[in-house]
Parts: sequence; C-alpha cells; structure tokens
Amino acid sequence: MNAVWQAAWAAVRRRKLQTIVIGVVVCAASATLVMALGLLEAAAAPFDRAFAAQQGAHLSAAFDPEKVSEADLEREGTDSAGPFLQTTVDTSSSDVFLGSLTVVGRPDPGGAVDRVSVWQGRWATNPGEIVLNRAPGTTGRTEVGSRISLPDRPALTVVGFAHSVTGSADAWVTPAQARELGPTALQMLYRFAKADTAADVDAGQARVTAGLPAGALLGTLSHLTVKDKATSELGVFIPFLMIFGVLGLVVAVLIVANVVSGAVVAGLRHIGMLKAIGFTPNQVMAVYLVMVSIPAVAGCALGTVAGNLFAKPVVQDAVDGFGVDELSFAPWVNVVAALGMPVLVALAALVPALRARRLPAARVISAGTTAHTGRALRIQRWLSGTRLPRSVSLGLGLPFARAGRSALTLAAVVFGVMTVTLAVGVTMSMTAYNEAVRPNHADRVELLAGPPLGLRVPGEEAPAARLSDAEDESMLRSLPGTTALLAMSQLETEVAGGTQKAMISFYRGDGATLGPRVLTGQWPDGPGQVVVPSRFLNQRGLSVGDTITVAARGNRTQVRIVGVVLTNNADQIFADWSTLDRLVPGARADSYQVRTAPGTNRDTFTAAVLARDPGLRVLPPRDGTSSTAVIIISAAVMLTLVLGAVAALGVFNTVVLNARERRRDLGMLKSIGMTPRQVTVLLVTSMGALGVVGGLIGVPVGIAVHQVVVPAMARAGQADAVDILMNVYHAPTLALLALTGVVIAVLGAVVPARGAARLSIATVLHNE
Amino acid sequence: MQNGDAVVEMTNVRKEYSDSVALDGLSLTVRAGEAVAVMGPSGSGKSTLLNMIAGLDRPSSGSVVVHGTDLGVLSETGLALFRRRGIGMVFQFFNLLDDLSALDNVALAAQLTGTSAGQARKRAVELFGELGIAHRKNVYPAQLSGGERQRVAVARALMNRPALLLADEPTGALDSRSGEQVMDLLLDLNQIGQTLLLVTHDERLATRCATRLIEVVDGRIAREHSLERAL
Repeated sequence: MNAVWQAAWAAVRRRKLQTIVIGVVVCAASATLVMALGLLEAAAAPFDRAFAAQQGAHLSAAFDPEKVSEADLEREGTDSAGPFLQTTVDTSSSDVFLGSLTVVGRPDPGGAVDRVSVWQGRWATNPGEIVLNRAPGTTGRTEVGSRISLPDRPALTVVGFAHSVTGSADAWVTPAQARELGPTALQMLYRFAKADTAADVDAGQARVTAGLPAGALLGTLSHLTVKDKATSELGVFIPFLMIFGVLGLVVAVLIVANVVSGAVVAGLRHIGMLKAIGFTPNQVMAVYLVMVSIPAVAGCALGTVAGNLFAKPVVQDAVDGFGVDELSFAPWVNVVAALGMPVLVALAALVPALRARRLPAARVISAGTTAHTGRALRIQRWLSGTRLPRSVSLGLGLPFARAGRSALTLAAVVFGVMTVTLAVGVTMSMTAYNEAVRPNHADRVELLAGPPLGLRVPGEEAPAARLSDAEDESMLRSLPGTTALLAMSQLETEVAGGTQKAMISFYRGDGATLGPRVLTGQWPDGPGQVVVPSRFLNQRGLSVGDTITVAARGNRTQVRIVGVVLTNNADQIFADWSTLDRLVPGARADSYQVRTAPGTNRDTFTAAVLARDPGLRVLPPRDGTSSTAVIIISAAVMLTLVLGAVAALGVFNTVVLNARERRRDLGMLKSIGMTPRQVTVLLVTSMGALGVVGGLIGVPVGIAVHQVVVPAMARAGQADAVDILMNVYHAPTLALLALTGVVIAVLGAVVPARGAARLSIATVLHNE
Repeated sequence: MQNGDAVVEMTNVRKEYSDSVALDGLSLTVRAGEAVAVMGPSGSGKSTLLNMIAGLDRPSSGSVVVHGTDLGVLSETGLALFRRRGIGMVFQFFNLLDDLSALDNVALAAQLTGTSAGQARKRAVELFGELGIAHRKNVYPAQLSGGERQRVAVARALMNRPALLLADEPTGALDSRSGEQVMDLLLDLNQIGQTLLLVTHDERLATRCATRLIEVVDGRIAREHSLERAL
C-alpha cells in the first residue's frame, strides 16, 4: 500500500461523518441526475422513442382487395407487415358505443413492422374476440370482458387492450374473424430506409405501389401525420418535463460542488501536515482526490442504480401517454451519470485542492479554520450592535464568513424554492384547468332524457323520457333541493367553410350559472349567439364577433360568436336554446343537469326524479380526474420532494462543515453560558437567513419560469394560456412559497445543529 | 458572598472514561477569596477537575456543589445558565471568536445574559480600561499579541462579575513577558477579592498568584499546602 493510498484511506476512516455525507449526497445527486437526464431524454422525443420501440410503420396503406391480390403487395427490400384484412365496424347501435372502428385481422401483435404492445389482457386468438387500441392506462368506459353486440354481425368480447403508436387500427381481431366481418380493404404497413420528410414517405409510397393497377390504393396514413397528432395532444408534457430535468441537473451539480469543495477546505490543516512530513504537493492532491473519490464512487454507483430503480417509474408515468411501453433509459444516461458524477466530484475537489497545494505548509497548518473578510467582519460588528438575541445575530453573520460556501448553498436553496414554486404553480394551473373543463360537482345530478340528437337510437336500452320536455323541466324545478337547472340538447353540425364537424350544445335554463366558464365575452342569451373554445377559434382563424354558418338536418343558420369558453374539446360550440329552433324546430332536451341545495341526499333526490319519470336515466357522478392532470401533478409532487430533499441535504452538509470548523467557537460560547438551544438557534439561523434570501429570489424566478412553461404547455396542447392557467399565484400562496426556502434550510440544518449543540465543551476546548 | 464561605465543594468525585479513571474519589473545598492552584503531571486529572467545577463535564459519582448549587441536578441548559453568571473561564488558547472585535468578544458574555448591546459594550470598555488594553478594543483577535488576547479573554471571563474565575493554563501559550503580565493581572484580581482556581504546570504562576497549592496525581489530591505569595 503506497503512502498516498494509506493516508487517503486513513482520512476516509477517520472522517466518518464527512465520508457518509459525501457518499449520501453523491448518491442522491446521481439518482437525481439519472432522473433528470432520463426526463430530458424522454421529453426530447417521446413519440420517436415509442415509434422506434414498436418499429412503427412509416406508411399505413389500405388497398382494394378487388383490384390487388396479396401476392401483388409483396415487395423485395422493404420491411413490411401484412396484408391484413381490414373492415369498418359501426358500434353506434351497441351497448358499448365506440363510434366507427377500423378493425384489422391480425394473427399476432409482433412482426417486422408495427409491433403492437398488449398492455392489458391478451391478444385475440379466437373468434368473437377483439382487442382495442388504447394508449396505456386509458381504457375509457370499456374493460376486458365488455361485449360489443352488433346487428347482423357476431358479438365481440373485448379480451385485451393494446397500443399501436402507428395507429394502424382502432381494434384487432383474428384474421378469420375479420373475414367473417366482411373485409373492405387489405392493410399493408411499411418501414422505409429513409422517411424523415413527406417527400421521403411519398417516394417510399411510390416504390411500394409501383405496378399496381389504378385505384388499387384506397388510402394511406403517414407516420408524420400520426406524429403531428400525437405531439399536439400530449406535447403538453414536454416543456414541463424539460424544465424539471434541467432543474434536477443544476441542483445535483451545485450540491456536489458544495459538498466536495467544503470537504477539501475543511481539511486544509490536514493538507499542511501532510506536506510537513514530506508529501509532495502532487501527492497531497492525490490524497485528497482519493479521499473524496472513495465515497463519491460508491455513492455514484448506488445512486445510478437507485435512479434507474426509483426514477424510472416517474419518467415512465410521464411518457405513458406516448405509448412508450417499457421505458429503459438510454445507455448514455447511465454512462453520463456513472462517469460524469465522479468527474464532477474530482473537479469540485481539484479547485480548492490546487489552492491549498500552492500554500506553504506552515501557513496552511497555522491557518485559522474560518475565512475572514472585511465585509464579513463589518457585518458581524453591525449585527452585534443590533437588538437581536445574540445567538440570532451571530447566526446571521455566519454565512458571510464562508461566502463561497454560502453562495453555493444559497443557490441550491434558490433552485429548491424555484422547483417548489414552479411545481405548485403547474399543479394549480392543471387543477384549475381540470376543474374548469371537467367539473366534478358533487352537488349536481345529470339525467339523460333520450339519445343525443344526431346519433342513432340505441334500441330498448336507451333512455326515453315518459314526460314531455316541459313537464320534465317543471317537475325537476319543483323537486325539493333543486336550486338551478339546465336543459341541454346536442346536435352534430357542419360548419360551412371548414372540413370538420362541430357539436353544438344548446342550453336552456341557468346556463350562465351551470354552463362552462366564460373567459371572454358573454354567455349566449339570445338566438343566433354562440360561445366557443379558444381552440375552435385558433384552428379556424376566427375571433369573437365573427359570424359562422352551421347546418344540420337540411337547415342552415348563421350564428355570431359572442364569447370564449373554457373547455378542452376544440369542436364543441355552446348556444342558447332559441338557436336550436332554427335547426331542429320542436326538439326536446336530451339531458338535464340539476344543482341541488347543500345537504340534499343524492339517492333520495334521484329516487324522487325516477318516481315521477321512470324513463329518465341518472348518470353516475362525473369522475373529474384527468389522467394527464394526475400524471403531471404526481410527477410535480415527486420531483419537488426529490429536489427539495437534495437541496436540504446541501444545507445539512453546510451546517456539518460550519459546525466542524466552528467547534472551538461553539465550545467557547457554551463555556460562557450559551445554552444548547441557543447554539442550535445560532446554526439554524445561519441557514434560515439563506432560506429567507433563497425564498425571496426563488419565488419570483419560479413564477417567471411558470410564465414561460405554462404557455408552452398550452401551445403544445393548441390552447391559449388563459388567465385561469396563468394567474394562480395569490398572496397567501406567495407567502407560503416564500417560506419554502426557510423550511428547506431549517429541515436541512436542524439535525446537524442539534448535534453541534451537544458537543462536549471539555473535549473541544482542551484539544488544541 | 463573604470571604471564607465555600464557593466550591467537591465530595468523593470520581470520573471514569472507557479506558481510564481521571478522578478517583477527589474531595476539595474552595472558599471565597482564595486563589487555588492545581498542579500535577499530564493526565493526572487537573483539567477534568476544572471541567467538573465549570459544569463542562459530569462526574461518574460524587457531588460538585458550586455557590450552593449541586451541578449534578442541572440540565444542560441549567448548566449553561449557571456558567453564564456564576463562572468565568480563561483558557490556554484564549478561545476568542475570530470574526468579532476584541470589544464585541467581551461584550458577548453580557449580551447572553440579556444585557443590551450598548450596556454590554459600556461595561466592556470599562474592563478594557482596567486591564490596560483600552487602545486595542476595536482590534480583531488575529491582530492582537498573545498577552493581549489573554487579557481580552480575562475581560470576557470577568464581564458578568462571576464569583469564581477558572483558568486553565492561562500562561501556557504565552511568552515570558506576556505571561508575567497575565500573572500580575490574576494576582490583582485575587487581591480585590476574586476567587481563583488555576490549573497550571507553571510553578512560578502557582507560587506567585495562589494562596493554596493542590497537587493532583492519578486523580487524587496527593499534597495540599498553603502558600505565601512571592511579591
């Protein structure tokens, strides 16, 4: 064993607390780094990752089986899957309404292209079985075992849920089942060597359709189109994940730099002694680098493993919506964490060690353990003259003695506060938005009176009110407990000048009270007035005050946009009931929404309703949760806890170092009558001061980041950054957030401060 | 407290550490106005004896009563409050706070008792004058000589007018001239009624300042005799 190793190992064993602190901090920082890099990587291209993992199809093509045979579709040199039999199933008359489904007969989910991932249940292997295409975790109102009964067609039982990033089908059945359902097309799925642009995909399409008869190709779907759609729906996550990734990275680097440089500075006297007994400056450097590296390497290895184990579920949750089936961090994430962190540790140790290396041995040995600058002394003098308790004023002056260390600690606290501020803001924005677009009112009862207009009557199971529309409304208004009532009818309409349809909800009654929240303009209160969501305006280039023409059932009418409402459906318009008469004269309400008085028993109320009109159907209370909101909020909470804990760990380390350097001073203070509680107050105050400053800096910075991130999230979701999203920070919230810095600082400081308060004075003062 | 009253009463004090016995049934009484010097070889238990009286350490058995207060029944906070007003301590290595001026180091002791900063500084200035270092009051410890630092430490110890001044090798880190100055200072203090307990290796200090000499060997009082001060 050479002298350097021997000295380094002895230092590691002798400085157990420091070794543990470095190990724990590097472990936590490495885990945070893995999570941060994982988030950045996942957020950078979640669709591309999912697409690559499934070998997604660059082109999905439907061919006319009357014009081409399966053999005609085979092409050498191109990866492909198919041909699969494809048909369309209309489920509007089924108990389980799933709209019109593109169903593909496919023997298994694997293959060279479009490797569909089955995430619940199993693949369809028998006649009468169907697998639905859903993003992981989103089964909607269906579940395994749900039965889709179709007139003149075999009933299909849902046996599983799978996800195709390509979106190659809405559902899959066995090839035999597809044949029985009556195929209308042959589906082929292709992967091209080059498919980055539309021209690349067009060129690929030309190759695979060359030589086929005219009209054989019924339709195609490019992966670029699928990607645009996916990223507009789920891209809302990306700015959020990116910013948390960057925050995690910065906090990890700051803490490690603080801990390691502090450990070297604390060992200046030891460095001097090594020099005095003959260690060369380079050997001294080596001792210190090895001493710091031993716990750092161990912590880094543990942290990287822990990061993969614990951070992966967080990132997985965040990117589930993109269809990333089983997330595995890219190798570079672990390589950067495993190698980058020790390099960072070495760099952080190198700077103060180089400084110590240049100092003459005698000076290093005799150097006081605290730094004294003119400013620090002036501040301490000023504080000593204030009316503050002496333990508090001494504590307030302490950070100025080690300005560099205090600055690093402050930066960590600032980032911690900023993270909390941002997370709270994003959570409040998401909650406010969710509550606005998905109201989960426990005091409301929703009743179906009949099938929504524009849809076929779903047989005997459909609700069918026994009373007339006017009688139902009168009956509901007369029931004890009713405080407000809204009658509604929905109608699918064509919007002239556009290619998309829009659903108009016609409201009668207390629409301004119970309807969606109006952001700008007014709630429609007369014929020919509508309110629309901002996405409706943005997608069509319209604005409030414009007039649009809507048509349904052979009737056409002009309506003027009088306001913007908050809703997440881009194609839903809201109008006054008087407008409905222009399109469907004499139509009745297909649903009612009743707000009940506080204390009204829901079961008693609905029983009273059904006793008077058994034809009404009571809808179960709305589940107001959104999976997107839940994921963002839970990720925000998790990331906040992790980054807050890492920041507190930085404070912990600073107090440990300060207490060690100041142990003689603390012992002296105790010897002249400072109580253990006052010593604790002194050290906690020193960090509390940083916490206050950190709060004052971190809160505005966090708010500023919120003002950037939330609009970016809104833009990604093709929505406007409306007031309800932006104005979430109110005075009480700000006051609490400002305290976050103090909480982080106090939580980090209190344990080592109490330890320092228990120092044995006798030992400290007599061992010089 | 009048001269002759017991300030310190140690009875059968034993202090054990994991691998050694520092005090072995030691009993000692120090009366008001006395200047007691404790001498003995390294490891004999001198500093442990001082720590017991200052309430910096607790005996394994036996009792320590200072100013009528049994230190064994006090909590850590109680001991701190006791030290604040009842004891002044001077250490070999001064133990001044480097980032406070000399004046603020001294005033600090009074401020801990709740005295305002202004009052504390006023009292400290008086002490600086009495100890002959008034011109150095605004200087920081690093800029003071060893003798000056020890005078500042003595001023701090006297700040709350303690009935008992404990000094642990007060001249141990000083050159001979500075040591002489500190000896003179302690002598003067005792002559105006300050009770002193010195732990020292320095026989000159003991014979010059103390009225009684106690020699501790292996945690016990081996010899004890009164001294005529060498003036």
